[in-house]
Formats: sequence, C-alpha cells, structure tokens
Amino acid sequence: MNFLQLSILAALPLALLPIIIHLINQNRHRTVKWAAMMFLLDAKKLTKGIARLRQILILAMRVFAVLALIFAAARPLASGWLALGAGGKSDTVLVLLDRSPSMEQQNLETGKSKRFTALEKLADVLEKTARSSRIVLIESASLEQIELSSPADLVDLPMSAPTDTAADIPALLQAALDYIATDQSGRTDIWLASDLRAADWQPGSGRWDTLKGAFTDLEGISFYLLNYPEVESENYTIAVENLLRRRSPEGMELVMDLVIRRQSSRVSPETLPVEFTINGARTAQEFTINGSELRLQGHTVSLGNSESTGWGRIDLPADGNPRDNTFFFVFDEAPVLKTVIVSDDQQTAAAIKAAASAPIDGSRTYAADILPTSRQAEVPWDDTALLFWQAPIPEKGSPESGLLEQFVESGRSLVFLPVDNNQNENDFLGFRWIPQTDSPSAGPYEIGWWRTDSGLLENTQNGNPLPLGMTKIFQIREFEGETQSFLKLKDGRSVIARHINKLPGNLYIWGTLPKSSFSSIASDGVAFFAMIHRALQQGGNFLSNAQMRSAGGSALPDNVQWTSASVRDSDEDHVNPSLSAGAFQSTDKWLAINRPEGEDDFRTINEEAIEDLFGGLDYRVIQDSVNNRSSLASEIWRIFLVLMALALIIEAALCLPPRNDEEPAVVI
Amino acid sequence: MAKTDSNNRDFLDPKILGRLMGLPLDARHAMMGSVSGRHRSPVRGSSLEFAEYREYVPGDDTRRLDWRTWGRSDRYYIKEFEADTNLRLCLIIDTSGSMAYGEPGQTRLDYARQMSGTLAYLAANQGDAIGVFPAGEHGLHHEIPARRGPLHLGVALDRIAELEAGGNTDLVASIHEAAEKIPQRAFVVIISDLFFQPEPLKEALQHLRFRKHDIAMFHLLDRSEIEFDFDRPTKFVDLEGGAPLLADPTLIGKKYREAVAEYLAKVSAICTQTGTDYHRVTMDQPYDQTLARFLLGRNPRTKKTAANQG
Repeated sequence: MNFLQLSILAALPLALLPIIIHLINQNRHRTVKWAAMMFLLDAKKLTKGIARLRQILILAMRVFAVLALIFAAARPLASGWLALGAGGKSDTVLVLLDRSPSMEQQNLETGKSKRFTALEKLADVLEKTARSSRIVLIESASLEQIELSSPADLVDLPMSAPTDTAADIPALLQAALDYIATDQSGRTDIWLASDLRAADWQPGSGRWDTLKGAFTDLEGISFYLLNYPEVESENYTIAVENLLRRRSPEGMELVMDLVIRRQSSRVSPETLPVEFTINGARTAQEFTINGSELRLQGHTVSLGNSESTGWGRIDLPADGNPRDNTFFFVFDEAPVLKTVIVSDDQQTAAAIKAAASAPIDGSRTYAADILPTSRQAEVPWDDTALLFWQAPIPEKGSPESGLLEQFVESGRSLVFLPVDNNQNENDFLGFRWIPQTDSPSAGPYEIGWWRTDSGLLENTQNGNPLPLGMTKIFQIREFEGETQSFLKLKDGRSVIARHINKLPGNLYIWGTLPKSSFSSIASDGVAFFAMIHRALQQGGNFLSNAQMRSAGGSALPDNVQWTSASVRDSDEDHVNPSLSAGAFQSTDKWLAINRPEGEDDFRTINEEAIEDLFGGLDYRVIQDSVNNRSSLASEIWRIFLVLMALALIIEAALCLPPRNDEEPAVVI
Repeated sequence: MAKTDSNNRDFLDPKILGRLMGLPLDARHAMMGSVSGRHRSPVRGSSLEFAEYREYVPGDDTRRLDWRTWGRSDRYYIKEFEADTNLRLCLIIDTSGSMAYGEPGQTRLDYARQMSGTLAYLAANQGDAIGVFPAGEHGLHHEIPARRGPLHLGVALDRIAELEAGGNTDLVASIHEAAEKIPQRAFVVIISDLFFQPEPLKEALQHLRFRKHDIAMFHLLDRSEIEFDFDRPTKFVDLEGGAPLLADPTLIGKKYREAVAEYLAKVSAICTQTGTDYHRVTMDQPYDQTLARFLLGRNPRTKKTAANQG
C-alpha cells in the first residue's frame, strides 16, 4: 500500500496500547476477602465463553480503531488492486501506451477517450506514487522512449496524442525490454494501457514466448495492465477495399468495396447516412446495416468526365469513436500490373506467367515477363508489381541485394522460389534457404494446415476456403528466418510463408514449385492463381501514382514534399502526418493514409489469454472504463476514519452494562 | 479454648438490652422445660389456663375431681389445666471462615455475636435456659448445653465472646448433630451466612422439626454480597481457604446477581417448607431493630405490628 505520509506508520506499535492498558488494568486489581465464593464460581463458569469473546472483541475494536487512525493519518492511496498489490517505490516507471484508433472510443458525456482517460489516471497515480521515480513513455506509434520530467506531461505530450496506427503490443513490450536492458533501470514498474484488441496484442505471435522468457529472467519487474476492453457506446466503422477507377459509358467512375462494421449490443437494422467527398464535392447516401457488418461490393461513385485523379473521403455520423468514422482514398489511372519472373526453370516460370498475365479484372492491364537469371540486371524495378526470384539469394551488400531490398521497401511484392541444388548460404533481411545436404526425400506430403484468416491463402470474400485439401506436395525446400507461415505440412514444416519485417512491401517464400515434380499447386490451379493475384494486387497498390497505405512511421515517404489534400480537423496540427489518416498530394502522386484494417476488428482478448501471455510474471490486471471516474490511487483516509468510528461504536456497544430490568430483583 | 475476660462483653449494649427487655421471647410451639415458666408445655399442669375434661381413672388425685360436673352428670371427671414451662434457647452459631467477612469489629461474626448475646440475655432474664452450639470446622465444638441461671448466662456469654471464625464449616452436619444432642422441644436459633448449596439444608431443618424443635434462622448477608457493585477487576480471596479468584465484576456481575437471587429463593422456600422462622438480615441494619422485629413477630399479640415493621 502506498502512503503519502509514510513516516506516520512508525506509530503503528501504538495499536498495542489498548492491550497494554488492559494488561496493566488487570494487574492493578484490588484484593478483597470474600465469603460468597460459590456465587462467584457459578457466575464465572456461566460467563466464561461469552465474556471472554466479548472482552476479546472489545480489545480488537480498540486496536482496530487505533490502527485505523494511524492509517488515516498516513494518508493511504489505494483502489482495490493498488491496496493489495503495489508496494514500495520503483526506480523506473515505463508507461507503454496503445495509441491505436480503437483507444479513441469515448464517453459521450465527457468526451474523454480511453487513451485520454488512461493517461489522466496514470498521470494522477504516478504523481502520487512515483514522483521520485524515472518515468519513461514508450508509445505504440513510434516505439521511441521519451523520458518525462513530470507525470503530468503524459497528458500534454504530442507523443501521446491519438493516431491511426496499429499498436503492436509485443513490439511495445520488446521496446520496454530493450530499454530495461540498455539503461539498467533497476526495479521497474511497467504500466501498459490498452483496449486489449486481439489485432494489436497478436496473442498467437511467437514473439510472446521470447518476451516472456526475457522478462522472467529479469528481477524487480512488475506489470500493471490498465485495460479498457469495454465498449462504452455504439460504434460504426467505415473502410474501403479494392478501389478502382474505371471508365464507364457515363464517364469515369470509382468502383469500391465498402465495408461498414457495427459494434453494438443492438441487432436491429439501422440506417446510416454516409457522406462521400470527392475532390471536395460532397454527396450523401443512406445505407441500412443489418447485423454487425455491411459489405457493399462494387459500389460505384461517378466522377464525371473531368475527374481523372484526386482524393476522396467517406464519413460516418459521429458515434462512440470518431477516429474510425472516416476513410480516405485517392485515385488515379490504374498502372499495368506487371509480373517479372527471374528463373531458369522454364516449367515453373511458364506456370507463373500464365497465371499472372490472366486478367481477373477486365479494366486492368496485366503483363508478365520471364527473365533468365543471367539477365536479372534487366528487371524493370520501377514498373514491376510482383517479382518472382528463382535465383540464388544475392550476397549481402551486393547491388542486386540492395535493389531487392529497395523493391520491398517501395511496397512491392517479392516471392523467393527455391533453386535446385542450392548450396548458397546468403541471407536476405534475415531469411535464407537451408542448404540442401542430401537429395530431397520424395513425398507426397500431406498438407496439415493453412492460414485462412489472412495472407495469400485466406478465404475468399464469401468465406469459402481455397481448395487446397487435395493438393499434393512432393518436394519442399526448407528455409529459416522470422516468418509468418501460411501453409504447413502435417509434420509442421512450413511451405509458404511471409517474412516478418518492417518494410511496407511483402516478401513471400514459397518452399515448393508449381511444377509436377514438386507439387500439384499449379495443376490444381485455384489456390495458385489466387496467391499470385493477391501478391500482385498488393504490389500493384504501391505501383500506382495513387496509393493507399496504413498509418505508420514511414507511411508518408520523406523523399517527396507532400501537401495535405484532406485531413480530419483534429489532425491538422499533427506533428507526424504519417501517423494520422488523410489524403496527401505531391507533384504527380497521391497518397491516402488510413488506420490498418485490424483496427476495425472489434475482438478483444480475455483474461485467460492475458494469463497465458503473462503467467509467471509479476502482473496485475486493472479493468477500467471511460465511465469510471474514480482515480487509480485515490486517497482513502476517509474510509479509515469511518472504519475507526465504526470500531468505536461497536466497542461502546460491547461495553454497555446489561440492562438492570433483565436481572431478577433480590428482596432483602 | 482461649480465656476471655468475663467483662469483655462489648457485644452487649445495655441500652439495647433495656429497650428489648420489655419484649418477651416466645416460642411458637410447646416447649419442654425443666421448671415452670411462661411458655406452653405439651403436658398438663397447674396453670390457670383450662385444657380439657378427662374421665376419672383410679389413681387420679381426687383433689382434681370437678365436683360441679359430678353434680350435674353423676360422673367423675378430672379437670385438667395447661402446664407453663420454661424454654431452652439453643443458639447454633456458624463460625466458618466466611463469618469473618466485614470490617474488623463489624464482621458477620460480630453481628452474630451481638444478636446471640442479646437473645441469650433476654431469654435468661425471663427464666429460660440457654445453650450455645458453635458450628466449627469439625462440627459442634465446645458447645454449652442449655441451662438456667445467671451463672450459666455468664458461661454462655463467655462462650459467645470467645467465638472465632475460621475454616470450612459443614453447618448441615452441625445442625444434624445438634438435633440429636438437644433434648426435644427446644427453641433452636441458627445464625449463619448459609454459604453452601441450600438443598441439604432442608433435610437438616426437617431433622430439627422431627425432634419437635421450634426453629428460627437468621441469614446474615452483607449488602455487597447481594448487589456485587464492584467496578474493576478484583482478586477475591476465599475466607474459607479456597483458591483465590481474579474476576472482572463488569463481566460476571449479572450472572452473579442471578445466582444470588436463585439461591435466596431456594433458601426461602426451604425455610417455608420446614416451618422455619426465616429472617434475612443485611448487616447494615441495626441488630436491635432486627431483634425487635423478630421478638414482636413471635408474640401472638404483637405479630401484626412486627409484620408491619418488617
């Protein structure tokens, strides 16, 4: 328990005073020569149990009253958890802040968001309990460590303002771990304020095991998880998928998949007015949502004949979270979706080329070229959306390696394919093929699992899984590096995966080839086709002059001068525009930044999941809400005074002499 | 036995004796005295009080024939009169340790001494015999059988003056012993604090009643023993030698008073059932008033007055 006047607790032994006085009183008894001992013995025998209990209760109440008085004078700070848990002073307090848009859910009465409420309460509790500690803020958007001069700065810092970025909680904890390891912070309290969104916490990530192991090895680390999982009011989100500008008989039009999600306890149909703004011109349209999600595929918005490029935004009416009511988009002429296959394997290259050049959207242009490895320098890096690399991984530091890295850095998609008899041990961004020491064992291998919720093999839009069940794998090449697996064999080996890195583009690894000696992927067709076009689409998004990106540190490239075409009013003064949603323009490019898709996923992790992630560490869960106005560490001396008064009243009641009319009168 | 100065009779107050002298000590039952006196006797005698007519049988004193009845009925009847006799006052005095309760000079035994001495003096003054039966640790000890005369009064008063409280007395056994030792039809006065379980007392008193004794009992109590008005922890030392007891009167007071009330009710009931003239006396009452009420209560002519005073 924390106390503002800790020194007063030195008076705690005074609580023994009632007992000492009682003992002195017992020893100060007078002696009387007595004749009527028989009545005394009878009375004592009869009152032995009750009288003793009463006496003990009276003493206990007196001791309790003194204790309560001392505690009240020491000005205790507590709420339920703090009273039981927090003890002593820490050297360092790390505040890990989830700045994701979902933390902007508000109490509609006060207008305070989860993030602001958490900051306000943290500032208050740290002001009271950790004034002498070093306070460091690590926020989810930049993962930078900011040392604060005063806890009150937490609320005012631009680094604690709202953003549209995802919060990578494992990365946040890793940053905390790095800080502790680097700065030798001593006894450290880590406060983690978040809304427990599963998309942010990523409870299935393999990083948690590493983090848990690292924190377990450290001593004096306490976690306080300040959680805001509850939905305080009704909330709607809007997002756009697959935006396409195309020409129609009436002129240009935008075709988009519109996704409106509802987070509400109600299930009744609700009509929402949605405002579309295209290059500043506003139109409104009403949509009726029935259930938790409304997905309007191929929704068209007419641009007229003059609007060939520009920006747009879609706004929902104000609700519980203003941060997810707007979605920005930009549009321009669609680029050619070009695929380049660097390979000497004609069979493989031909299969990929056939799939990549087959159009899935009649309004787009698709192209695919095959380059032998000897001509890899001829790759048109700037025009390629998807690059298949079936060649040895270039040596680190070589021009080819640099070009590949720049390719991924610019948001395009790169797929590594295995090369026969590869003895190359080069790595690319930490990924490398495991050298083949003996001839591969022949399959077929059965497919054990594939990821259906995201990635190249996710279910189709109507929710059906890709038909991979009958696909045969005959040969695979194993690889290592930090990857997210999309397809695994029954023996657990990963076949198709995505390399985990911080670059905007995607680096995929295929451990098998689309030819008959390796697999039946190409001949089965559907999944192969889907994988190629999904990767092509992702790369193509970064090829266009109009790109849409998720908010994040590098979302807005530094090498170009950007001007904002449209941002939220509240974000006009934002220090880093990359962290907030908006539409931006440079000389010939358009860029729309929005919150990541995962922020519209309302699922949260529960306490069992938290126990799984933090089990074995010293942690406490504090469930709070924006409606809860009580402080995390309020002064509770009044409670102790009330308790003292109660104890004294009980003591007085116990000390009351028995009523005389209850006793039989003795007639003399 | 300790020698006592015959003049050491502080327990007798001449003024009180003078005041009480006019009140007769009456027995409620017929007494069996050795000489003629003022008390009713179970045998026929020559007093002026007519008793009954009885048919003449040979051997009767012809001087007691009622000639008038013979003249009326032509039958011989003997006219009989009540006999008046003296009484034998037997004082059973409890000398247990508990009788030492009270301030020095004002102990329960001192009070008993004043009462018994005064009663002995009054009885002797009206020609009755006096016996003293101290009930000590080993039953009756150095008892003085009932006898008449001023000389014997001196002996009895000396014995009363010599009484000392101590030990653990079995008063019930002493009463049984006295019932056997005292010839029938005596006036037995018991003076005690009766601090023992009352149930056996009933049998002892019935034993006395069986021997046709008239019984009176003075139950001496201190007001503090009844009201138990202590207010802080006190160590109670047993006057009869038992283990001392440390108690907080605030905790046990209620139960103590309940036990006392129950005990007194039992004692009263036993005395009523055995025809004992029971007097509960608190020692803050002047003993002369107690004795005056007692004497008045026993006199048929003044019984009502005594009841009103009580």
